[in-house]
Amino acid sequence: MAILLNQYYLQIAVFVMVNAILGVSIYLTLSTGQLSLGNAGFMSIGAYTCAILTVKAGLPVYLAIPLGGLAASFISIIIGFPALRLTGIYLAIATLGFGEVVRVIVLNLKITNGALGISGIPTLGTKIGKILSSFGLSKFGGFSAQQVSTLLVLVILLLVLAFLIFFCIRLNRSRVGRAFAAIKADESAAEAMGINTTYYKLLAFALGALIAGIAGGLSAHLTFFIGPKDFAYHRTVEILLYAVLGGSDLVIGPIVGALILTLLPEVLRSASNYRLMIYGALLVTMMAFRPQGLISEETVRYWKGKLGRGSKQ
Amino acid sequence: MFWQQLVNGLTLGSTYSLVALGYTLIMGVLNIINMAHGEIFMIGAFVGLYLVTYLKVNIFVAMAGAMLASALLGCLMEMLALRPLRRRAVSHLAPLISTIGVSIFLESLALNLFGPQSQAFPTELAAVQFELGPIRITLVQIIILGISFGLMFILRFWLAKTRVGKAIRTTAENIETANLLGINTNRIIFLTVALASGLGGVAGVLVGLSFNAVEPTMGLSMGLKGLAVLILGGMGNITGAMLGGLILGIAEVFTVAYGASSYRDAVAFGMIILILFIRPQGLFGKRQGGRF
Repeated sequence: MAILLNQYYLQIAVFVMVNAILGVSIYLTLSTGQLSLGNAGFMSIGAYTCAILTVKAGLPVYLAIPLGGLAASFISIIIGFPALRLTGIYLAIATLGFGEVVRVIVLNLKITNGALGISGIPTLGTKIGKILSSFGLSKFGGFSAQQVSTLLVLVILLLVLAFLIFFCIRLNRSRVGRAFAAIKADESAAEAMGINTTYYKLLAFALGALIAGIAGGLSAHLTFFIGPKDFAYHRTVEILLYAVLGGSDLVIGPIVGALILTLLPEVLRSASNYRLMIYGALLVTMMAFRPQGLISEETVRYWKGKLGRGSKQ
Repeated sequence: MFWQQLVNGLTLGSTYSLVALGYTLIMGVLNIINMAHGEIFMIGAFVGLYLVTYLKVNIFVAMAGAMLASALLGCLMEMLALRPLRRRAVSHLAPLISTIGVSIFLESLALNLFGPQSQAFPTELAAVQFELGPIRITLVQIIILGISFGLMFILRFWLAKTRVGKAIRTTAENIETANLLGINTNRIIFLTVALASGLGGVAGVLVGLSFNAVEPTMGLSMGLKGLAVLILGGMGNITGAMLGGLILGIAEVFTVAYGASSYRDAVAFGMIILILFIRPQGLFGKRQGGRF
């Protein structure tokens, strides 16, 4: 057990969690059929707001992370009002442009420290470690204090993710979720049914931005350092891949996508130079052979049927 | 100062126009945005660079070589990444995502093949300068302006007058009808993708010459600019792409010249965000249909 819980594995598990949260964020915007490529931009806003609040204003982490998410969400509403008049590829390009603009602004502002980025961000692990040691706890059976604090971070992230999954599942069965599904299926028909499409699209957009911002804040407090390069075009593509690989019909799809795509580079360490090539080829193959992603509603129904029959026999 | 900046802006803008034309042609005929166009442009630049460096060919031969190589690459992309999607009805976002895949594949391929460092053309063209009144213009700028405007006029004429050009326009108008009229639309699509990519390749060599730097990441920034021009000029509008490129080039050069130089890369996207909100069909676009 102690071997399994080494720092390396724990760190990967932490990244899986953050990426899974990002997966939920793109799932939410996609659930109204909007392809937004701005999630990396929102993540960047969340991360920078949060880092500035904790490093420069000295706010506690548990306040700064939600504030970062709210900042991202607020910006998303401002740009969302006009942007959501656009559909399909226009929206994709406008949001991609938004991400680029955010990157350039971050690169030029003083408070974000330009290309150097912000370093010395207190990590969640050390914070928890300090709290633990203030209680006089430094050894836990066979585990070191560092292991325990990383483990606790993992638990916190797991709780956040579990809450998000629960939230999405509940959302799908609610009035809002049905409105989302109706807009995804056919926007004009949904509008004719009396659904306020602008409101619901904006809601999905802002929710996606909120979660992306929170993920950004979390990642800032996990990695000690953030820079403008962390949230560039490649990050957008990575987030998009979670949804494309896993499937965006169900919330579990992008999470599985994030899990696979975070673990894959670790397994294929030797091929790390070719990681992006593999990603690219993966995108093309997925689109050609399974555009709905690995997990779709049919897949779930199929397995449910199979397992259900199996248990009856 | 003003006239000098205008010439610089026109030179930069004409390369943007060439890149945007590639987007526009594919947008017009296939109704998709080819996100890999920037990377095809970058590969074109590398092919030109290696032709000049290792085979010691003339710069114009290198441009032809780059054009050929990127046209072939474009055809390969059409066969592997786009054609399979056309065979069955998929979401209109599928080709977009598929070409994003091609783009990161090509960028990473170039990174592995050519290395991350920026490489320069071993020519002395940039040193040759002419004085025209208040303006100083380099030979490189003259080549860029000549080649890109020449190509644009040839393309314009070719699309308007020749048989194949008319077939391309018909296919852009309506692919089913074009099919019924006896046009081999698959061949036309192939031709359009090859043409668009070829233009991208030439633009790659021109941009490599003007900045005297060729690197794997140049495709992404140029691709995003081309995309901005596509929106600025109106989707699938050839004139729009040409003029939009020039406008963007001039706007960028003036932003740099009069102050905010570090915001240069934000100009393009600031402009398209503005355009999308005020006039979503683009500066020269019509509200519906009627491409080219």
